[in-house]
Amino acid sequence: MSNDPVALFAAMVRLRKFDEACLQGVPTHEIHGELHTGLGQEAIAAGMEPSLRPDDAVVSTHRNHYHGLVKGVPAEAMMAEIFEKETGLCGGYGGHMHPFDPERNFSATGIVGASLPVAAGYAYAYRLAGKDAIAVGVTGDGGTNTGGFHETLNMAGAWKLPLVVLVENNRLAISVDFHAVTATVDIETRAAAYGAWARSVDGTDVEAVRDAFAEAAAHARTGKGPAVLEASCYRFSGHYEGDHDSYRTREEKKRMRVENDPIPLYRERLIERGEAAAEELDAIDARLGEEAAAMLADVRAASMPDPKTALKPLFVEEGR
Amino acid sequence: MAAKPRNPSVTQTIAEALAIEMARDPTVVLLGEDVGKIGGVFGASRGLQERFGEERVRDTPISEMGFTGMGVGLAMAGYRPVVEIMFVDFIGVCLEQVYNAMAKIPYMSGGRMRVPMVIKTAGGLIGSAAQHSQCLWGLFAHLPGMKVVAPCSPHDYKGLLASAVRSDDPVVFIEHKGLLLKKADSFIHNPETPEGDVLVPIGEAKIVREGGDLTIATISASVEHALEAAQGLAGEGIDVEVVDLRSVVPLDADTVAESAARTGRLLVVDEDYLSFGLSGELVTRVLERLGPSGLKAFARHAVPDVPIPAALSLEEAVVPGPASIADAVRALAARS
Repeated sequence: MSNDPVALFAAMVRLRKFDEACLQGVPTHEIHGELHTGLGQEAIAAGMEPSLRPDDAVVSTHRNHYHGLVKGVPAEAMMAEIFEKETGLCGGYGGHMHPFDPERNFSATGIVGASLPVAAGYAYAYRLAGKDAIAVGVTGDGGTNTGGFHETLNMAGAWKLPLVVLVENNRLAISVDFHAVTATVDIETRAAAYGAWARSVDGTDVEAVRDAFAEAAAHARTGKGPAVLEASCYRFSGHYEGDHDSYRTREEKKRMRVENDPIPLYRERLIERGEAAAEELDAIDARLGEEAAAMLADVRAASMPDPKTALKPLFVEEGR
Repeated sequence: MAAKPRNPSVTQTIAEALAIEMARDPTVVLLGEDVGKIGGVFGASRGLQERFGEERVRDTPISEMGFTGMGVGLAMAGYRPVVEIMFVDFIGVCLEQVYNAMAKIPYMSGGRMRVPMVIKTAGGLIGSAAQHSQCLWGLFAHLPGMKVVAPCSPHDYKGLLASAVRSDDPVVFIEHKGLLLKKADSFIHNPETPEGDVLVPIGEAKIVREGGDLTIATISASVEHALEAAQGLAGEGIDVEVVDLRSVVPLDADTVAESAARTGRLLVVDEDYLSFGLSGELVTRVLERLGPSGLKAFARHAVPDVPIPAALSLEEAVVPGPASIADAVRALAARS
């Protein structure tokens, strides 16, 4: 992946268009459970992409689409899984919270905080194998208050595991304000307790994330132990589609969506710096929008899984 | 003169199985509290760290959630982790990774992701009261996606653990604390355990005593208790057949049904809790096979839904042992 600014812009737009396409499946009940979108958090995943290698692992959360896409999970298979289709990444058995791609070392969990120990397992595996691959465990700010956060970072620190803990701090655990339930002012502060490298970064600034994530990844990759990268961001939507989101005022959301939207922010910057023309960026936007629309049409046309296969993939060796 | 037969303890056969599997497959790793330097609190991994190194035989902090999740990550990354949860009672602090991750990922991924992981843990009675004496195999068995194995004989400990490590499915391997330190020659049912490879397939029950009057189906240490009871009952003219289930998932109800169809009477003995567990499930599966009138009589003998009490007098009142099993057999045999 390129560090080219226009490519970074395109990476964010691709993610945005993807989740916007997924949103269309909610009112139609094509996605029949909940859906957690990453709208507003595109700069974080896009900033990871240039430093991720195919042999690295990413273990993500309930809000995982963007992390899967930047890890190289085929977008149409990902979208088809979100739409619970037979052609989905996991054949419709997993759904949007549980995508698994063994070839790209990508997985996720719907249980908050549970991603981190699993990521440490990948990190341990890479160490055992003598590889310089890293594992990235993604969590939100809510997940950092689970015991798994402490247990994982303690072990990763004690054993100097090649682990990056990426905290997407949108300051909301569903409705609960981060500062109301957290003893430290931020997450970065806690890393010192585990001997971990740490940095806070503006998660709406894609270049800042790219540079900070590159440092975090390099730290972990060179055997210096775990890194904690805290990226602050603003969650545009409710916790899930259908969340009444009454814990924020309409005015706040309106203002924050303007002030914190990483895509127009970066668009302005590229134009200001003379690195891209508005027309070029608009063309990218239009092209990626069309691609997402075409993908959505294909996904919608795909079959639902055959009900006769509902018992199929439990065990390799038979028996119950 | 024949050579003196080997007389290993159960922990010794477990350590042998682990050593064989670690030697034949470099992806097998062992993680857990006290598994390394001291070779496990029961000695079931003695000598392994010296032989295979600290990375492959890893002493962990008291962070069950953390290192069980690491097992899941290791398994997805191509390793075969054996994660030791010292006592099964501690599963409460890491059940999340066991039932939401280890057990569900193979299914959730549509079969794309395999989690060849073993949870090795000690259950059963050891006189340590409510928080250190449970069996809990019924708990795991209720949650889909994991095999649940609980051997009795030293031979089966070795052979089933080897199969568990080689299995591509997640396996919970529940040892019985009352058996771990026993020597082979103190077992009533004691097939010889060779020093080399032993493989016992997961999911096959075994008739460990033949009899014509009544079938006892049970698992783990209760198999020995049932055999002891059966020896005494033989003197009273009651001829008991004993089936060692060996695993709860898969549950070999066919072997039990075949035996119970012959004897006409089925007693399920379970050191786990009575309700919503192995005993009710097994009786149901047998009746599903034989029809509602397929048995003359059946009964269940299990821990009657109370925590395990501390005082020996109380403990003996709730946990099946040879005497209580014999009583249950007499009562069942007397029913027309």
